[in-house]
Amino acid sequence: MVRPHVLVVEDNAKNLKLVKDVLEFAGFGVSEARSGEEGVDLARRLQPDVVLLDLQLPGIDGMEALRQLRADPVTSALPVVAVTAFAMKSDRHRTLVAGFDGYIAKPISVRDFPDQVRGFLRTKSVP
Amino acid sequence: MPEETAAGGASSDESARLLADLADAREQFAATSEVLTALGRHASDPDAVLDTIVESARRLCRAHAAQISLLQEGSYRLSKSVGLSDEYTEHVRRHPMAQDRSTLTGRVGLDRRIQQVADVLADPDYGRQDMQRLAGYRTVMSAPMLLDDHVVGVLSVLRNQVDPFDARSTGLLGAFASQAAIAVHNVNLVQALEARSTELARNLEQLRALGEVGEAISASLDLDQVLAAIVMNAVRLTHTDGGSIMEYDEAERGFSVRSAFGTADDVLDRLRGTRIDLDSTLVGRATIEGRPLAEPDLDQITLDSHLQCLYDGGWRSVAAVPMLRQSRIIGALVVRRRTAGAFTDETLDLLQNFAAQSALAIHNARLFREVETKSAELQVVSQHKSEFLASMSHELRTPLNAVIGFSEVLLEKMFGDLNERQEEYLHDIWSSGKHLLELLNEILDLSKVEAGKMELDLTAFSVRGALEYAMSLVRERASLHAIALSLDVAADLDVVEADELRFKQVVLNLVTNAVKFTPAGGSVTVSARREGDDLVVAVTDTGVGVPPEDRDRIFESFQQGGRGAPKEEGTGLGLTLSRRIVELLNGRLWLTSEVGLGSTFAFSIPLVSTGSARGPSPGDSHAGFPRVVLVEDDRPSLDLFSAYLEGAAIDVVVARDGEEGLQAVRRQQPAAVILDIRLPRMDGWDVLRALKADPATAAVPVVVVSIVDERAKGLALGAAGYLVKPVRRDDLLQALADVRVVDASALTDTSRA
Repeated sequence: MVRPHVLVVEDNAKNLKLVKDVLEFAGFGVSEARSGEEGVDLARRLQPDVVLLDLQLPGIDGMEALRQLRADPVTSALPVVAVTAFAMKSDRHRTLVAGFDGYIAKPISVRDFPDQVRGFLRTKSVP
Repeated sequence: MPEETAAGGASSDESARLLADLADAREQFAATSEVLTALGRHASDPDAVLDTIVESARRLCRAHAAQISLLQEGSYRLSKSVGLSDEYTEHVRRHPMAQDRSTLTGRVGLDRRIQQVADVLADPDYGRQDMQRLAGYRTVMSAPMLLDDHVVGVLSVLRNQVDPFDARSTGLLGAFASQAAIAVHNVNLVQALEARSTELARNLEQLRALGEVGEAISASLDLDQVLAAIVMNAVRLTHTDGGSIMEYDEAERGFSVRSAFGTADDVLDRLRGTRIDLDSTLVGRATIEGRPLAEPDLDQITLDSHLQCLYDGGWRSVAAVPMLRQSRIIGALVVRRRTAGAFTDETLDLLQNFAAQSALAIHNARLFREVETKSAELQVVSQHKSEFLASMSHELRTPLNAVIGFSEVLLEKMFGDLNERQEEYLHDIWSSGKHLLELLNEILDLSKVEAGKMELDLTAFSVRGALEYAMSLVRERASLHAIALSLDVAADLDVVEADELRFKQVVLNLVTNAVKFTPAGGSVTVSARREGDDLVVAVTDTGVGVPPEDRDRIFESFQQGGRGAPKEEGTGLGLTLSRRIVELLNGRLWLTSEVGLGSTFAFSIPLVSTGSARGPSPGDSHAGFPRVVLVEDDRPSLDLFSAYLEGAAIDVVVARDGEEGLQAVRRQQPAAVILDIRLPRMDGWDVLRALKADPATAAVPVVVVSIVDERAKGLALGAAGYLVKPVRRDDLLQALADVRVVDASALTDTSRA
């Protein structure tokens, strides 16, 4: 089976490492981006199975990055999930309305996180 | 009849005398009746009565002239006269008669009886030859006008030759003097009455004007409107032609026109463009001296900047009244006339009333403005506070994510085994991180409640279900300390309409506290009952109790109260937050406790939401999203499915057992149901049967999601779809798309714009 490929866009080094370690341990292939611009660029070039996008990023923020991904036919179909520390219920609705495929709140649950991400994968690449 | 008797044996001389007497008597009678008629006719005009009296006295006493002098301010002043020249009357008016013996009038006043002087020229004591020379009289008779034993005046008859008055004339004069005294009394009364009613009318007018001003002040917070009313009324009541209200600016040390009345626009424009400073203007002087100042004629003085404007605008006299409040200068009220002329004290008094009203109005308006500014500032501060808390919460959450996450990675032993102590310490790190997170969440919640931003999501849910859920979360901890947990729900209780998540949060907080403060071997009981239209939930423990002095304090933030050390630390915000949430649900939370025996924390909320809380009513789709009831007892599956569904913009209502699920579907009338089969209390098959058997829910599509692969049975019982776990997101959404709950485009990635 093909290893599912996840692009993690996260500016906080420690959180990036955590997500990366947990997902790699669970059998995902992980690429990382430290800014919205880099995330959009890598998504275009790498065509991951799912993009995990932090909302608060230096430069363009998560909302804008999503808009750019959706606007480009090359990336418009990618599943994009918001991973954010914005904790309010209204934040969740805001992200869903903005067009994210899903929402995972920080702090993540290490035990459940891989399953949560797996749920957003496109059918072809389920490990 | 005496006439007949006399006529009986009388000579012709005697007859003639008797006839003359008769004629006299008739004349006297006629005169008296004339006076009486005049008195009657002119009851309201005593002045006319005096005219009649003085004329009748002259005629009946056969005198050349007659006069009435009234005692005013210590001397006798000529009031009425007949048969005397203007020159004489003018002279006597200018030189009134003294209260002494130099005139017969003076003497009569002193002696209080009728007297006559046969020839004033022969009287050595007579002192007013000046008068005598002008009028030419010789014989004078005077009668005092007495009123309540006081001399009010003297009635005199004068003959231009020496011809003393007879007894009959003396009697007549006495009678006329009495009438005159009464008439004077009436004059006084009428004058007093007139003065009174004038004063009353004026007072009334002032009161009305002040009332109007007061009304304007209370009816309007618009200062301009109030001041316009004041200045208009001030002008009207002082019978001036125009006026203005000046407001003082402490920083500028000057005045500006705040409101004006009767003033041409160009003059007003000039006034607004002119500096009216404190130190060199009439207005300024009036406020510094704290008293009204007036300029009766602008033609006669050196004009200051303000007065120059007015003068050029055609104004000729000005009065300025200071507006002070606790000896601070607020401004000045100015009235003006187009003609020169003094302002009476009364006018200035009246203006001071208006000035006080204006000062008060301006003062109030300033206070109001201050309050407005302050509350706007407070709003900004509160906004900043909320934003600060939200961003702080976010900033703290980010490192916490790493702390908790890496602890979990190690505790999950993803990268190798740990020894016992390492595992224990890691667990401490993890639980401290979790604790910090909880604290963060509660601070955020509390700030939301206080900023009025906590939104309630009202649904009807099972009371028992919610209580069981909360208790299930502390069961492990309770059994660890051998604390017995029990639940007692009244039989007549079914569902309550509230925010389910917040309700559970409150119950969980109370139950957690109870377990925390109950010593090993104790018990914690949760009970729920109906009380009128309210639901009352009570959590009773067998802990140490809360001493009376701490019973209010423990509801404050970060206060533990004298309950001894808890077995585990809390956030110190739980009770504060719980009480706020209950209040938000239109309920109340309270404590009863007995030291040494335990405590009961109880709250009551309306069984049916009273509507002040925001949120959708049952059956509505949240924010336009379709609503799906998810019946699932396994926590990881629940979280995963919730994430899938919410990711597809579906409003998820969660039920943790079959019975709760059934009730949720009945209440919510959702777009679809996702149903697990292995469920507590009532299994999924029974739920499915019950839903399909009830006409109210038979049409709701049900998608079964189970590890039990009994597709045929499910479809036979009426399920619209059947998925076997593990279920992928797309499978779940496809199943919902098949029953038209979601658009197929939500899951097929190709159709996105």
